[in-house]
Amino acid sequence: MTGRTVHLDGKPVVLAELPLKGGGQAAVFPVEGDDTIVVKLYRDRPGPDLERRLARMLTMSPLAARPTDANQSPELAWPTAIARGPDDAFLGYAMRRFGEPQHVQLVGLFTRAQRLRLFPDRADWRFLLGVSWNLAFMTARMHYDGLVIGDFSSSNVVVDANGFVTFLDCDSIAFTDPGTGEHFPCLMHTTDYSSPERQSGAAATPESDNFALAVLIYQLLTAGNHPFGGVPHDSTSESTVKDNIAASVSYVVRPEAVVIPRGTVDPSVLPPGLLTLAHTAFGPGVHAPAARPTPEVWLRALDQERSHVQACPTRPLHTYGSHLPTCPWCTRAAVTGHDVFNPPVRQPVPVPVAPPEDTRGSRFGPLKVVGVLLLVVLLLILLDHLS
Amino acid sequence: MHSEYPPTLPAEYADIEFENNAQRLPLVLCLDTSSSMAGAPIQTLNDALADWTRELHDDVSLSYSVEVAVITFGGRGVGAWRGPQLLDPRTPMSPFVPAHAFQAPRFTASGVTLMTEALELAMQVVAARKAELRASGLQYYRPQICLVTDGLPTDGTGHMTDSWHRLLPVLAEEQQARRFRLYAIGVGGITDRGEQVLQAFAPKFNARIQGFPFRELLQMMSASANAEQKGAGDEVFEKIFSQFKTQRPAWES
Repeated sequence: MTGRTVHLDGKPVVLAELPLKGGGQAAVFPVEGDDTIVVKLYRDRPGPDLERRLARMLTMSPLAARPTDANQSPELAWPTAIARGPDDAFLGYAMRRFGEPQHVQLVGLFTRAQRLRLFPDRADWRFLLGVSWNLAFMTARMHYDGLVIGDFSSSNVVVDANGFVTFLDCDSIAFTDPGTGEHFPCLMHTTDYSSPERQSGAAATPESDNFALAVLIYQLLTAGNHPFGGVPHDSTSESTVKDNIAASVSYVVRPEAVVIPRGTVDPSVLPPGLLTLAHTAFGPGVHAPAARPTPEVWLRALDQERSHVQACPTRPLHTYGSHLPTCPWCTRAAVTGHDVFNPPVRQPVPVPVAPPEDTRGSRFGPLKVVGVLLLVVLLLILLDHLS
Repeated sequence: MHSEYPPTLPAEYADIEFENNAQRLPLVLCLDTSSSMAGAPIQTLNDALADWTRELHDDVSLSYSVEVAVITFGGRGVGAWRGPQLLDPRTPMSPFVPAHAFQAPRFTASGVTLMTEALELAMQVVAARKAELRASGLQYYRPQICLVTDGLPTDGTGHMTDSWHRLLPVLAEEQQARRFRLYAIGVGGITDRGEQVLQAFAPKFNARIQGFPFRELLQMMSASANAEQKGAGDEVFEKIFSQFKTQRPAWES
């Protein structure tokens, strides 16, 4: 079954009937016969501001000068064409498709179930550190090009198997048109990543991006824990992450102020240099935008750690910072029974079925081995005593 | 209302519960499984729930914070389901399961329509869950309760009853205080009177839909959960709901 026809640069394309994803404002549709692009259509007829914004964006090519690694996807899902109806009405825009399983929203790295499903055998702490670096790099480059992300969250950045990141919802980016000087503000935000000033209605700035960047890096480095999670001791029953941000209550800075859920990864998994930045971002930086670490500062601190990551000798996918004497993930698994990076070990279920006759011989195989081992150990003890 | 679901957590679920400190989004499906749903409708519901469960597992965003509980009203009473398992009302186990671990139950349709009691149980499990999460230090988004029925509230003998009136002041207060978002959806051959009950329960988010578009309904619940995670304003939820209400099911066109 097919959906509607739209025109991209005058060429008609047929969209799939059902969107890949849809929210209240817009829906993203695959294109029949072309799996490299998608078309985002606005639900309500978009106004002239939005059309002018898209038209201006098409004349720009941000991050164009970047050295391209052949394996790296573009860092921005920049609009490639305006989508119009048969009557020439502006409906939305086309962009390159960044879909699963090759491209996964950052939030997919925040739960074990999704890490194991979408990044099998690779999403360890070293990988998360690398993604953090790429995220800081992308943010630095966008700021350098005069772009403010504005709506910066774990849902609108995708990451690929190499840890490279791409920002998706470019139509919400805030920028000033270099030709006309017209400013296009960012009108969206995601509360769990919004700095206090954004929550109370201020415009998006590089500093509000820096707040979201700090939260995302912290989440990556702790395998998904939000620095403003946890219920404050003096809160009302409906307290949320948003409230904790507004009140500047982070357990990273003020652990005594919050009921910290069992199993929350301890902030000390962050190497000291990075932990200091987190303290600044989630302490004084909450209400003082200028105090928040910039992407460049994060990059320097992340850089220092990348070459010193240690691998755990005991369990797979356990890597950690050089500042720690022992594997924090093994410690956590011992305390909580939850291994952050490896699948749960199922308790063996007793099967009340008698084994078939023909396996009888081999059943004693393991016993023999145990017997021989026991003898060897006894012999060693004896020898030890004799000497 | 006293809670039959004290804040306890069986040890065997600790592994799932403490994955991370994500703010949780409790979602309750409160479903009519009375005799009028027998045949194709309950089959459609079972299939849609199985499909939606797969989508939920694959949705990286929703599976970060959504947890699902199912309440049914049919047979001889109401029941709370922990995934595919119908809970013994005497056990203190919470019916909420994290999205990635949720398994769809399969229902059979029979019996009476204790809609009032089911909604009361839904409110009760939500209140208990909030207390449980809070005690564990976990925050929550506004829970969503989705009531789906094709009939009218009855008593335990299958006779229509006006006992649902007792819910109205409670529901009004709870929704006013933003303690949960209630969707009340009439399907199949629901009558005008049935629709009026739903309008009274959920003045903003009620609908009367032709046929049994459970798939679209569950997708609407996902879209709404997504908006909740994003911190969207009320107008976004109204938009999502009106899109659901006005979309024509494929078999009508």
